[in-house]
Amino acid sequence: MAGKPKSNFELILNGLFNENPIFRLALSMCPAVGISTTLMNGFLLGLAVLFVQVASSCTISLLKNYIHPKIRIPTYTLVIATWVTVIDLSLSAFFPTAYKAMGIFIRLIVTFSIILMRLEVFAAKNPLIPSFWDGIGMGLGFMFGMMTLGFIRELLGAGALFGHQVLPVKPLLFFILPVAGFFCVGFMMAVYNYVEFLFKKAKEKKMRG
Amino acid sequence: MKDFPRIIIGLTVACIASAFIMGVAFMLTIKAKKHNEYVEFKEAMYSALGYTHENPAPSTLQFHEVYRYILNEPKKDYMGYMIPLKNGKYCFVALNFDGNFLYKKDLNISEEEAREESAREKALSAVLNPSVKFFYANRIIIAVNNGKRVAYLLPRGFAGFKTTIKVLLALEPDYTIKGLEILEEEEDPGLGGEIEKNYFKNQFKGLTYKEITQLKVIKEPLPEEYRRILEQEREFTEEQIKKIREKYQDSHIYALTGATITSTCVTNGIKNIVKKFAYRIKVLDKIIKDQHINAVI
Repeated sequence: MAGKPKSNFELILNGLFNENPIFRLALSMCPAVGISTTLMNGFLLGLAVLFVQVASSCTISLLKNYIHPKIRIPTYTLVIATWVTVIDLSLSAFFPTAYKAMGIFIRLIVTFSIILMRLEVFAAKNPLIPSFWDGIGMGLGFMFGMMTLGFIRELLGAGALFGHQVLPVKPLLFFILPVAGFFCVGFMMAVYNYVEFLFKKAKEKKMRG
Repeated sequence: MKDFPRIIIGLTVACIASAFIMGVAFMLTIKAKKHNEYVEFKEAMYSALGYTHENPAPSTLQFHEVYRYILNEPKKDYMGYMIPLKNGKYCFVALNFDGNFLYKKDLNISEEEAREESAREKALSAVLNPSVKFFYANRIIIAVNNGKRVAYLLPRGFAGFKTTIKVLLALEPDYTIKGLEILEEEEDPGLGGEIEKNYFKNQFKGLTYKEITQLKVIKEPLPEEYRRILEQEREFTEEQIKKIREKYQDSHIYALTGATITSTCVTNGIKNIVKKFAYRIKVLDKIIKDQHINAVI
């Protein structure tokens, strides 16, 4: 990561597109495939991940000088688990309706590879402010990915969006099942690659011209 | 080697700090969480009984809870019920599995206190022989209006396709199903998860005891007019509902598309709950009568 540091806006764009957790880094595939069955699920899990990612990134970038390098992984896991528990407890107490919908997913966040990876790659080497924006970018990228998958799968699988029936039929029931999650992820990766390919082509043309 | 103490201290401090944060969060939230759970369960109770905002429950309606325990002595197993009495306390009645009376003890615990499992355990261990081990099995909530039983509410769980499905079943005094609420399930959303939808769970409403004992799942499409009644009961008059229910409701449940196993699990689960309950409540009522227990239920 040589070169001049990225601006805050670039950090967010980086999470959304260049290093999108699901479609570019192919991390946290379990939740991507298992939970993105509806648009609402995707949104709620994305929101929870956003919180945990930002909180953990900030914590680690503040404490990075005190963490012994040999035990950094257990410490990161501990930090993530603490934040997940805090969010789990507060949601269940103060937002019972939201918790009812997303309760089972929140505890899963401890195991999400994307969060650990961002702590290791970014927060442990950067000061607080860039870590915060990187957390926001990654969280938004994850949310965007989950919502895209949720959109495709809910529309095709149940003919609905956000639980409201929009199509008169259920076109492909198969899309609700976890297997179809892989198809969707693969499809979206192809889309991302194609867009990148187009960008490269345009750039080359510009350079030549 | 010189890193060793640093690693130990570092990890210990991290653990203590995170334990402290989690502890504080727990302390701050536990009360609200308990309250939420209680409110949610209360709502499920009223909705299973068919009360809504437009049709509120009468103010004289009271709920009394009977707790069932499995007891375990070195050589024999038996069971016991905690029965609420008219004086506001509980008494404990032990009986063997054939339904014969063994012994009776008075417990010093009020109905309000008995909602906490730890308080019940304390009251029970105060009167029972120390060699007896006891395990909480389940409870029956009895809705009483003006001294008359109007409904039984049964919070129960059974195996679904993926995990345990927790339901709240409301029965009339003659074991006709009054309502069904799904409290917890983790089936596939869109497939098995549809058991939470009205068009599935309302199929159970109004099934008589005889129909329940012969209940089975059929793989046929749900008739359109029946579905409309199940989904939006309020838009129809009582006569229309009765007519359509008579036409389609029999000893069968229409399976969910793509979730036959979940549908079968729920149907069999409910069948078992009702069958067991009908037997147990008869035994319990006989004991209350024979032992002259001044029960509030």
